[in-house]
Amino acid sequence: MHMGIRKKILSGFLILAMMLFLAGAWSIYELKTVGSSVQRLLDDNYKSINAANSMTEALEREDSAVLLLLSGHWKQGREIIESGDRSFQEAFHIAENNVTIPGEKTYIGEIQKAYGAYKDLWIRPIVGTSREKNLEWYFQEAHESFLNVKLAVNRLRALNAQVMYETATQVQDRAHRAVIPGVVAILSALVFTIMFNYFVNHYMVSPIINMTKSVQGFLKTNEPFQLKVETKDELQSLAYAIEDLVAQSGKRQVSQ
Amino acid sequence: MRPAVVLRYSGIVLLFDAAFLSISAMISAFYSDSALLPLIYSAVIASLFGVFPLIFVPPAKDISNKEGFFVLICSWLLSCLAGSMPYVLWGGEFTLTNAWFESVSGFTTTGSSIIRNIEALPLGLLFWRSATHWIGGVGIIIFALSVLPSMGRTGMVLYRTEMSSLAMENFRYRTREALKILVIVYTGLTLAEIIGLLVCGMNWYDAVTHSFATIATGGFSPKNTSIVHYQSVSVEMVILVFMVLSGLHFGLLFSTIRGNVAGLWRSSIVRYYLLALAIGVMITTFSIHGHSFTSWTEAIRFAAFQVVSLGTSTGFATTDTGLWPPLAKLVMVFFTLQCACAGSTSGGIKVDRIVIFWKELLRTINKIRHPQAVIATKIDGAVIDADALEAGVLYIALYLGVVFLSSVILTALGVDILTAFSGSAATMGNVGPGFGMVSSMSNFSQIPDIGKWILTFTMLLGRLEIFGLILFVTAKSWR
Repeated sequence: MHMGIRKKILSGFLILAMMLFLAGAWSIYELKTVGSSVQRLLDDNYKSINAANSMTEALEREDSAVLLLLSGHWKQGREIIESGDRSFQEAFHIAENNVTIPGEKTYIGEIQKAYGAYKDLWIRPIVGTSREKNLEWYFQEAHESFLNVKLAVNRLRALNAQVMYETATQVQDRAHRAVIPGVVAILSALVFTIMFNYFVNHYMVSPIINMTKSVQGFLKTNEPFQLKVETKDELQSLAYAIEDLVAQSGKRQVSQ
Repeated sequence: MRPAVVLRYSGIVLLFDAAFLSISAMISAFYSDSALLPLIYSAVIASLFGVFPLIFVPPAKDISNKEGFFVLICSWLLSCLAGSMPYVLWGGEFTLTNAWFESVSGFTTTGSSIIRNIEALPLGLLFWRSATHWIGGVGIIIFALSVLPSMGRTGMVLYRTEMSSLAMENFRYRTREALKILVIVYTGLTLAEIIGLLVCGMNWYDAVTHSFATIATGGFSPKNTSIVHYQSVSVEMVILVFMVLSGLHFGLLFSTIRGNVAGLWRSSIVRYYLLALAIGVMITTFSIHGHSFTSWTEAIRFAAFQVVSLGTSTGFATTDTGLWPPLAKLVMVFFTLQCACAGSTSGGIKVDRIVIFWKELLRTINKIRHPQAVIATKIDGAVIDADALEAGVLYIALYLGVVFLSSVILTALGVDILTAFSGSAATMGNVGPGFGMVSSMSNFSQIPDIGKWILTFTMLLGRLEIFGLILFVTAKSWR
């Protein structure tokens, strides 16, 4: 491969630029992916986990209200249970409209079914009926049904938490991938610069110094100009030209 | 010594690496996996570093033996460095230490791994992992066929077979000739094994990656359970035959292919190699029969595969040898230390040195019996001179010394003694699996980071035949 000095130096800088450009482009791409992954993480999983937490909280309030109704406090019990139901429905609506994971729809269906069964139990009058102060009914039916809904909600939360963990791990991996190309590019560029500097010194600067010394040697002591340039470029042409010049100058001196 | 010349020719090896990285990237693109960008970026960096010296440094008319030697060592180290790049860039369990370990293990054809779940890795990256074995194998053959014969008479004795005439020639001619032989034998064997495995029902990807690992006597498999995954006797048989062939001197294989079949049987080294494997299989079969396997057929099948796998320094597994009785384990340790013939891709002390050692031992006993007698040590009729004998015995002593030292350091780091010793012997011999925590169905992920660096150093020491690395790191040899 015979190249001129200009092209050789240009190739060195181009290689350096290419290394840095590629690393930069890759890092930007990975960082953009990290950004969209984080957004997805918040949109898809965090919303559902939050909704599951609200559902659990509402359910616990409803369970306390059932106990109040059992003890004969109709007004307070009814207020709490209705507000709990409203909160539950709101949270359920959010979860229902945020199905993003395979299998999530089945869990939503299970919650809906279990909650329907639970609501059937407390929507009918308790105060003033045979169920008032009936702890056996509470533990065998109401509490059992409450636990079923809670379990279904927990499953939905666990599924989202699992996917959230996996996505977070992927994000961490992506962040690593965004940093590492930069580190590799910096190290490569450093090593490359040392190599480039060595080549420029060895194949360009040293021959020029040697040429200067040889010309000075000829001028001082008339010693013959002898210099071998390994590379086939402008420096070799220059060496040949100086050699010719020195030879002609020598001939002139002899003829004078 | 001209560093620019070393850089130029080492750069060519980086271009070779870049070509394989590009093929791996194509595979990654085909399977749309996550290793595409790391592989492309690594290929670009490797090719830029490879091309640049070609632009600046003019081709050398002659390369001295020393320069040739340094070109090979630098190529190896640079390949290991370039090889670790896609792992580091991909991330996952690949920290800098783990990536370096996996890369050195690949290029030195050791086959020890730090990966817990191999099948979770992208296929493009797994292809690169197997390709490092194949590239490393090429390097070993050039090293054995063209560089070591130039290291004086000592080197000549070990690598003399069919190659001695080449050693007289200059480095460039020798490398060209060695490459010609290598291309024919190495590629031929690889293609033959790929066809054999395809016939046995393996898919293209698995056939190619397993063939790369077998011919280079490496041992990386793209499956978590290695060859056990296939549960196929025919697959095991094909791999077993090619493991035995890859353990032979490639020059000798070349001359056999050219019609000199008798030469193969005339070689006492080959006879010892095959006999040792046969005896090893026999002892192991008797040992594991009734303990790990109830039928004789099964005992022979598993004993043969494991003995040949360790005896050729390949390291594939068809069963968990960690559960075998102590005698069978001892046989495995013996083959982990000995391995196969010089001039092959195999590691370890090598059969040739063991033969030299036994012959020298017999000569010494005879000398004690008959003090006045002049007794020469001969191999296949050729007299082995005192320097070569001394170097052979010294090598064995140094080899065992390094294994011992490495075991002591690993033990000091908290690794149990069985894992430390077998792990050191397996990495020094470029075998792969050991016993304990690093048995055939386990990996090196639990070894502490410092331990991993020590083991990669022993891999390189074993691969570069100790003296090679000593020469390289001795500043004097640079002058």
